[in-house]
Amino acid sequence: MNMSQTIAGRPPAARRRPGRGLTVGLVIIGLVILLRAFAPQTPADTLADTARDFVTLSISVVIESLPFVFLGIVLSIMVQIWLPEGFLLRRLPKNPAARRVVLSLLGMLLPVCECGNVPLARGLIAKGLTVGESMTFLFAAPILNPVTIITTQQAFGWDSGILVWRIAGGFLIANLIGYIYSRHPKPESLLTPRFQDACALGDHHDAADGKIKRSAGLFTKETSAMLPALFIGAGLAGLIQTAVSRDVLVTLGSNPVWSVLALMALAFVVSICSNVDAFFILSFGATFMPGAIVAFLVFGPMIDIKMLALLRTTFTAKTLVQLTLIVALCSAALGLAINYVV
Amino acid sequence: MSFRRLLRRWQGALLSIVGIVATVWLGVNGQLGLYIHPRYFVFTMVMAVIAAALVVAAFALVPAAEDEHELLDDGGGRWAWLWSAGSILIIVSATVGLLVLPPATLTTATVAKRDLNGSTSNLTQSEADSLVGGDYSTFTVRDWSSLLRQGAGEDFFADKTATVTGFVTPDTSDPENVFFVARFVVACCAVDAQPVGIPVYYPGWQDEYPIDSWVAIESGFDTNPSIISEETIALVPSEITPTDQPAQPYVY
Repeated sequence: MNMSQTIAGRPPAARRRPGRGLTVGLVIIGLVILLRAFAPQTPADTLADTARDFVTLSISVVIESLPFVFLGIVLSIMVQIWLPEGFLLRRLPKNPAARRVVLSLLGMLLPVCECGNVPLARGLIAKGLTVGESMTFLFAAPILNPVTIITTQQAFGWDSGILVWRIAGGFLIANLIGYIYSRHPKPESLLTPRFQDACALGDHHDAADGKIKRSAGLFTKETSAMLPALFIGAGLAGLIQTAVSRDVLVTLGSNPVWSVLALMALAFVVSICSNVDAFFILSFGATFMPGAIVAFLVFGPMIDIKMLALLRTTFTAKTLVQLTLIVALCSAALGLAINYVV
Repeated sequence: MSFRRLLRRWQGALLSIVGIVATVWLGVNGQLGLYIHPRYFVFTMVMAVIAAALVVAAFALVPAAEDEHELLDDGGGRWAWLWSAGSILIIVSATVGLLVLPPATLTTATVAKRDLNGSTSNLTQSEADSLVGGDYSTFTVRDWSSLLRQGAGEDFFADKTATVTGFVTPDTSDPENVFFVARFVVACCAVDAQPVGIPVYYPGWQDEYPIDSWVAIESGFDTNPSIISEETIALVPSEITPTDQPAQPYVY
């Protein structure tokens, strides 16, 4: 049931006093800086090691992901407010399959890692991209972008075939998902009610305001949607990392089936950025079979703890369960095929 | 204007401020390396500055409460307090974690979770092979541990001296007599950190060097005198120097 409701009507224009908001903002920023300045600067023994590592790991996810989320929001603002209407979308082919193919290559132009793709995809949906097409973009862009391709090539070279399988796997799975959800009879039901309403309002919302004010407004809305999800995802990632031993996963490395599943589980837990995951997994090459490495490199950029938390801002929980299953099955099938056939 | 509407509109800006101040503070104090790889330093700082400008613009230009087209999908009345409580919890947790607690590195608790000197943490065979014949005085903990793991024999190590700095973590197979001088290897951020270490034979080390304290060692390698340790070659120093944690505690 859609629980959302819209409060119609514009309040009196005199509600906001010029300069007052700026003063409040600067005071808050000043207080936060003072808080940091007077906080302890060196680690004390107040926390147990495990608790301290949980905090360190969670903060690490936040510090690493936050600039990419900001970049994604900035690009989303560009697409929604600053680019001419339909600048990107009207250049796409009319044929749905060709549109998805082109969208899966959009990451070549906008090389944002998976965290930044979520706000960008939200902006594209708001401007008219279908749900299925947005999924194709979301799942292809972290793999089919120049930074990821270069780092994977540096880590594994061309000869091992891992780079080719990664690119092909990412492309095929993203387009398959786009195709599946393009057949959905009510694609809007895949989106959260709140995001549906935001899209519905998007076209006429604040149309009379200047672009700078609308940009600032969109920034507050997108950060209010994305950052709580990022912090929750970071906390979960830190919690699981401190609770689950990696030794268990590494011992499964030489089995053709378990190695694939183990590295997919590791990708889900580690939530590492697709731009550098190849370097991380490189040393596993001696322990794990090639199919497991490819499964890690394909599954991780599409689905992990942090990514699910971010995607939840846009898609319903049921949709995310379905997406996770499809991506996991496809990645596992790809990994097993490489281990057994290639 | 209700507190709930105010919170819904501004929670993102508040979390942004927390993240931006924490990032810039770490950057200015040279502590970003506690959490992320140096290749991200410039990008992270630039995006923090851009985001700060957007936050200031938001406070200056955006109405205080979402009063034109308010979206309330949190169930309205009965469960609204739960949404507000969750938001406050996230903001408070973020503030405490990023601003109140001091920046810190990973500890031995994480070493125990992540296969010290496992295949995931060392250099590849070809990289390790290329080390042989290099300038041994510049070798890091990672370089030496890779050579040990790749099976370079006692003959190779017989005339080598390691000059390394790392934190103290016990050898689980003989914690009384052997510890590792260890570092974490980071590819992207602390989340992917993998521990590497060189075994050090020094009976009674716990009395002098607490776990997770930092030490500097200059010593030759020898056959590990411990009969129960799984490590066959170890540093056998006559002297170990306590030291401060380096500005960049991880290796890359």
